[in-house]
Amino acid sequence: MINIPQNLKYTKTHEWVKIDGNRAKIGITDFAQHEITDIVHVELPEMYRQVKKSQSVSVIESVKSAFDIYTPLSGKIIGVNNAVLENPEIVNQSPYENGYLFLIEFIDTKELDDLLDVDDYKKLI
Amino acid sequence: MEKLLNELPSSDIPAYNIKSDVGIDVKIPESLRRNLALGLPSIAESDLLRHFTNLSRENYALSTGFYPLGSCTMKYNPLINERISKNEAFTLIHPYQPIESVQGTLEIMYEFGRDLCELTGMDYFSLQQAAGAHGEFAGLLMIAEYFKSVNQVRTKIIVPDSAHGTNPSSAFFAGFDIVHLESEVDGSISPRKLKEILTKEVAAIMLTVPNTLGVFEKSILEISKIVHENGSLLYYDGANLNALMGIVRPGDMGFDIMHINLHKTFAAPHGGGGPGSGPVGVKAFLEPFLPIPRIEKNKYSEFVLNYKKSESIGRLKAFFGNFLIILRSYIYIKALGAEGLKNVSERAVLNANYMLARFKNRINVPAGDRCMHEFVLSLKLLLKNNIRTLDVSKRLLDYGFYAPTIYFPLIVEEAMMIEPTETESKEMLDDFIDVLIKIIFEEAVLEPQKLNEAPINMNIKRLNEVEAARKPILRWK
Amino acid sequence: MNYTSQNKKNKDDMFRTIGIKNVNELFDVIPKDLRAKKLNIEGEKTEQELLNYFSNIASKNKTLVSFRGAGIYDHYIPSLVTEVIGRSEFWTAYTPYQAEASQGTLQTIFEYQSLICAITGLDTSNASLYDGATAAAEAILLSLRVSNRNTILISQALHPEYIQTIKTYLGNSNVKIVIINVSPNGSIKESSVEAVMNDDVAAVIIQSPNYFGIVEDMHALSYVVKRKKSLFIAVINPLSLGIFQAPSEYNADIAVGEGQVLGSHMGFGGVTFGFMAAKKELKWKMPGRIVGQTVDKNNERGFVLTLQSREQHIRREKATSNICTNASLNALAACVFLSGWGDYGFKNLAEVNMSKARYAFDRIKLLDGFSIKFENKIFFNEFVIKTQKSIKRMNEVLLKNNILGPLDLSDMNEFLKNCVLFCVTEQRTKLEIDNLIKILSEI
Repeated sequence: MINIPQNLKYTKTHEWVKIDGNRAKIGITDFAQHEITDIVHVELPEMYRQVKKSQSVSVIESVKSAFDIYTPLSGKIIGVNNAVLENPEIVNQSPYENGYLFLIEFIDTKELDDLLDVDDYKKLI
Repeated sequence: MEKLLNELPSSDIPAYNIKSDVGIDVKIPESLRRNLALGLPSIAESDLLRHFTNLSRENYALSTGFYPLGSCTMKYNPLINERISKNEAFTLIHPYQPIESVQGTLEIMYEFGRDLCELTGMDYFSLQQAAGAHGEFAGLLMIAEYFKSVNQVRTKIIVPDSAHGTNPSSAFFAGFDIVHLESEVDGSISPRKLKEILTKEVAAIMLTVPNTLGVFEKSILEISKIVHENGSLLYYDGANLNALMGIVRPGDMGFDIMHINLHKTFAAPHGGGGPGSGPVGVKAFLEPFLPIPRIEKNKYSEFVLNYKKSESIGRLKAFFGNFLIILRSYIYIKALGAEGLKNVSERAVLNANYMLARFKNRINVPAGDRCMHEFVLSLKLLLKNNIRTLDVSKRLLDYGFYAPTIYFPLIVEEAMMIEPTETESKEMLDDFIDVLIKIIFEEAVLEPQKLNEAPINMNIKRLNEVEAARKPILRWK
Repeated sequence: MNYTSQNKKNKDDMFRTIGIKNVNELFDVIPKDLRAKKLNIEGEKTEQELLNYFSNIASKNKTLVSFRGAGIYDHYIPSLVTEVIGRSEFWTAYTPYQAEASQGTLQTIFEYQSLICAITGLDTSNASLYDGATAAAEAILLSLRVSNRNTILISQALHPEYIQTIKTYLGNSNVKIVIINVSPNGSIKESSVEAVMNDDVAAVIIQSPNYFGIVEDMHALSYVVKRKKSLFIAVINPLSLGIFQAPSEYNADIAVGEGQVLGSHMGFGGVTFGFMAAKKELKWKMPGRIVGQTVDKNNERGFVLTLQSREQHIRREKATSNICTNASLNALAACVFLSGWGDYGFKNLAEVNMSKARYAFDRIKLLDGFSIKFENKIFFNEFVIKTQKSIKRMNEVLLKNNILGPLDLSDMNEFLKNCVLFCVTEQRTKLEIDNLIKILSEI
């Protein structure tokens, strides 16, 4: 059973977004981690880097493939989840909690309108 | 399983030893001297010999069995090539010897290049590149230099999605942007789709003919016309040249530049992953850009090295290319000659079509009923039994066969790519076909778990690649 | 010769199964007007004819007693190396993608990686690259990849063909290449590096022993480089590591070099291999194949190709390199070579090289018309000598005596006019060295 929490926003490229004021926590969905299968390596964005919406900022790798992760929002990277560097399997085990990828301070609230809610995302998958 | 070197019995007197007949005179200041312990194993020759012999027996090899590896062309490596290439007049030659003392080596490289020109319809070859991908890289750098020389800004290379991964990667490292071209179900190129993305920024399109599904590009002349009318160049990935020797030449199809992998077409040994050699051939207008030095023949019929090529892309490696690999391939050509080479391609295509004919009514073949030297099966029918192509390939190991190439090309779901090569007998092909059919139609239905767990008869069982990558152990402790 | 299996009945059966009358039908898809005419390629020789044909060509080569190095060296190759790489289970094996059927190749590569780590002191080695020059170029690409910087500093005393290779690799990029000048004493000074260092420098690449045979003060140079947080790339002769500092001792980030000295023949400079070792934090950015240890279903130790998502067959244009080869058989030779010396023997091998070079150097410098070029410098097995004699004539006379004389450096630049580079390895006997000196003294 694919888990899709109600309180999150989603993207077409299977990232989830948890908004808290002008900050957002970002990771990949349960569906995505299932599709990728066993994650063996994660690359995270540099701290304090300025990023633009839809830019590839992170990479998630399985044994036989690699997937780009796109930031759904523009802004500054203010936190990264270093735990997944040493133990990438956390992303498989807990995609919405311990396996998040990075925190961003976003600058354009209009970009939030492009995010999908649970029902839209369910239709997508 | 065999122990690691550092676990073998340690001997105070190791296998090798060397003496000085001038004494030892070594004064090294502290700042330059090594203080770190080396930690090298110290093992007797007898134990080392057993160690490496035992390890060799853990290897599947051409000398032990059949490699049905699509796109990789593991054909038989004749022994005479090894024998001649061990001649000390070839092995004990320094690259900076005076030119008059290496005329034999230069003659071989020169004549080999000439034979390649005849075989491919190109005008010049460079033999410096150390592998196929190295050849691609050289070719793409030459394309970049060519367009600079005619003052055109062309920054893009078109690569079909059925291409080898080296194509887009080589183009990227040569400084180009990659434009992906969606290929048809049989891996072929639609001239209409090509036209849609063929802008004035496109420097070249890279094509593999026959393509990676084993299909000859039937629109090649139309493609060539469209590409050249746009001022772009046509690049031939010679990975599959072994299907076409003496039958059709890339140069005649309209290709401007190409590379060859010597182990695929010309029986150089694979060596467990290399070394290789990747000659690059060009039409005359691209000759000025070839890597230096060029091997030439002067008016006295002496072979010389020409470094004076102002428009050359430069050199791709130190020295002159992997001569001892080139030599083996040249011997192969001299063993076969024009007729023999044509026979190789005919037989390779015959073998592949025979196998395809036996599979085609039972297993999905996306590219149709006929092929050139290789073909691709899709084993997606097994997904409903929770069996993947990987499982089938691991089960083949249990039956003493190496597995075909799997999950390539990327455009075929659950792909299994089979290339028998010309050097296998019908009996060998039948044995393989029977086993594969048994696995797919009997075992996959009756004992799916066996496949999921395969290999089960090998010394080593299925290895955990996930843990290997998550917690990398890349050296002994 | 014909290496296909021919049997009339089988062929007819195959035709029948396919539904064709002759093999030409299989090529009907190729347009008639494209078909090749009969090719003009001589051949169809028997084994015996091939042996004669090629021994005739081989006789146009001359094997010589070598006092020349400059990147390729005449070293001793133990019998065991020849025996092991001659086993067809190794030389006719495919790339070990099917791990369970390729443990021999995989384990020897793992052992090779471990041995390269041992001599360099670094944590990670790949499974080998094409050669020393391309390994140097790949190291530079790696440094550009991890740093977001755009300038590369290259020692002028790096092998000229390595510099040319690096320039080719960066030929269609906008990376800035700066050459660090070599000082009149033949080595790179800290101040020369400092003068060109800046925050845009991704890496500094220094060879030691350098092209002139001189062992650089890598510790001091590395220190200058690290102050700007640039990567320090060492190009090294692995045989010299028996006695000279390991790259880890001077905090190198990447060590690369030519592996031919570890058990491969000179072969006109091909085939050889390049090695690359690096600090562990760079492992996911390394080019080329890497073997890792793992376990099978029964928890038995085994080996697989790993960190593969770096590579072109998965990552395509986003791969860390386009390379799809490791010079596996030559790396195997190196593995066998490095496994039979022990620490003492490997150190002794380096010392014999250095001692024989010293023996020759001490005598040549005293000859009339010959003098030291670089005073008071430590060299490994190569050294530069200045001469008033005609270098061309000297080498002609030596060639007549079946000797490959020193490399003429005169064309490199004005500073090296009338200079030659000698190489003396453990292969040269006292008798051969004395004979060389005798001939030089008579020129």
